[in-house]
Amino acid sequence: MADYNKPIPSPDPYVTQPFWDGAKEGKLMLPRCTTCNRVHWYPRILCPHCHSSNIEWFEASGEGFIHTYAVQNRAFGGWADETPYATAYIDLKEGDRMFTALRGVNAEDPTSIKIGARVKIEFEQASEDVFVPYWRVVD
Amino acid sequence: MPSNPSMSAAIVAAAESDKIGYIEEGTTALNLHIEAIRNVCAEAGVSPSEIDGVFSTNNSNLLAEYLGIHPKYIDTTAVGGCSFQMHVHHAMAAINAGIIDLAVVSHGEAGYSSRKNQGKGTLGGGGGDPWLPAAQFGGGPYGAWGPPSYYAHALTRHMHQYGSTKEDFANIAVVTREWAGLNPRAVMHSKETNPRGGPITVEDVLESRMIVWPLNILDICLVTDHGGAVLISSAEKARSFKTSPVWIAGAGESQSHADMLEMDDFTATSAHASSQAAYRMAGMGPGDMEMAMIYDSFTVTAGITAEMLGLTARGEGPSLWADGNASPGGKLPVNTNGGGLSFSHSGMYGMMLLVEAYRQLSGTAEDGVHGIEGKQTNAQSAVVNGTGGLLSVTGTLVLTSDV
Repeated sequence: MADYNKPIPSPDPYVTQPFWDGAKEGKLMLPRCTTCNRVHWYPRILCPHCHSSNIEWFEASGEGFIHTYAVQNRAFGGWADETPYATAYIDLKEGDRMFTALRGVNAEDPTSIKIGARVKIEFEQASEDVFVPYWRVVD
Repeated sequence: MPSNPSMSAAIVAAAESDKIGYIEEGTTALNLHIEAIRNVCAEAGVSPSEIDGVFSTNNSNLLAEYLGIHPKYIDTTAVGGCSFQMHVHHAMAAINAGIIDLAVVSHGEAGYSSRKNQGKGTLGGGGGDPWLPAAQFGGGPYGAWGPPSYYAHALTRHMHQYGSTKEDFANIAVVTREWAGLNPRAVMHSKETNPRGGPITVEDVLESRMIVWPLNILDICLVTDHGGAVLISSAEKARSFKTSPVWIAGAGESQSHADMLEMDDFTATSAHASSQAAYRMAGMGPGDMEMAMIYDSFTVTAGITAEMLGLTARGEGPSLWADGNASPGGKLPVNTNGGGLSFSHSGMYGMMLLVEAYRQLSGTAEDGVHGIEGKQTNAQSAVVNGTGGLLSVTGTLVLTSDV
């Protein structure tokens, strides 16, 4: 944790706190609208699909698939030491999409990374309160 | 029913700041704005005091104060590089509503000089809000540092979904450089204008420095200093200037998302919706367009947008540039100034699209541009598209001329 040298997200105590609380326990917490039963990401106080404010948090599977990716050959700050590394948009098993830096891939060979590959979430402790989500390719 | 605003207003002049590109002695965004406004007024033969509407991405109030004018309409729409297409749309609507007669749309951005001036002179605001959704869950925590970090994901998805290749997109940069070769004001016109200027090949693009795979540096726009301004007049007064009118036949705008986190389809943008609105207003279609100015922040931006504008089939955007069709002398001239890739791109490129479309359609392109006197294409119609943010927001204009 002390050596986490990358930007650390700043949890919003009014809306997104349940996600960050779950992250501390290694759980992926997602928001779901109880009116239309659809998951949305990022967290909101209003469902972007049906505009209901009836939103609950639930523990998701932590599984998903690569929707698309890129390899960052240029970066700054703590990320500069990691280049080349892959970033990706992840299709969540429960619906909607998250952004991440990929683990378990060879970024030196971009075409070896496959859209559709299965990924699982993991969390890295960045500070006392913040655990940053990452996704790892599992097949 | 409100009337169709098509042709209710015209762009009557377009100009740039005194210098554009890599201005080695340095400049500020404010100076670039004011030079462009002074120059566009001189070109049209009007005084800044005749302007009653001010449109810019920020600081429209400061521009009016600086000029000592008291506008009746002040618009600061700032949603990225497409904002200027939208300003034209908004100015036309305000003119059509009878609120104003003469608007200025202005742009000044010290994309190059701000680096040596440690960020000063940008007219920029403060830092971002760390509680914004995109700050918590977007690219920042993962080292994404700017548009290239994000746009690359769209190109990967396009290649996966449609079987397109890096070579297909690289050819867009090659063709765009051909146009720059005809424009002495283009940063990459030749070895005389820049050590890296002059013609390039597909191989040059593929072998250039990798920035964010699959985007090499020659897939990515320049970052320059640039000021530009256009004047927009009511139809009634449009022929009273020293310059000739280019008519706003159609205009439209739309957005699919703000942060790329919410981009549903990485191979499509709202340029489909905004161009459909513009074509509908104009009573014209993509087949009626005789030239196209397509936002090329990246080769992938231009390629996808060609599809959205209806100029190619889905998945085949880069084919617009194939076989010389979009080259000088080709069937459909595209990005005749040399584009954001090779002409100039200060960060928000939409104004450069407007200035070039005006010059081509009005026949008032200055002598020497493209090495040919006056008009370099025979186009009397153009589709002009801006893309802003992270493939987020788009504005499309259909412009026509009768000269």
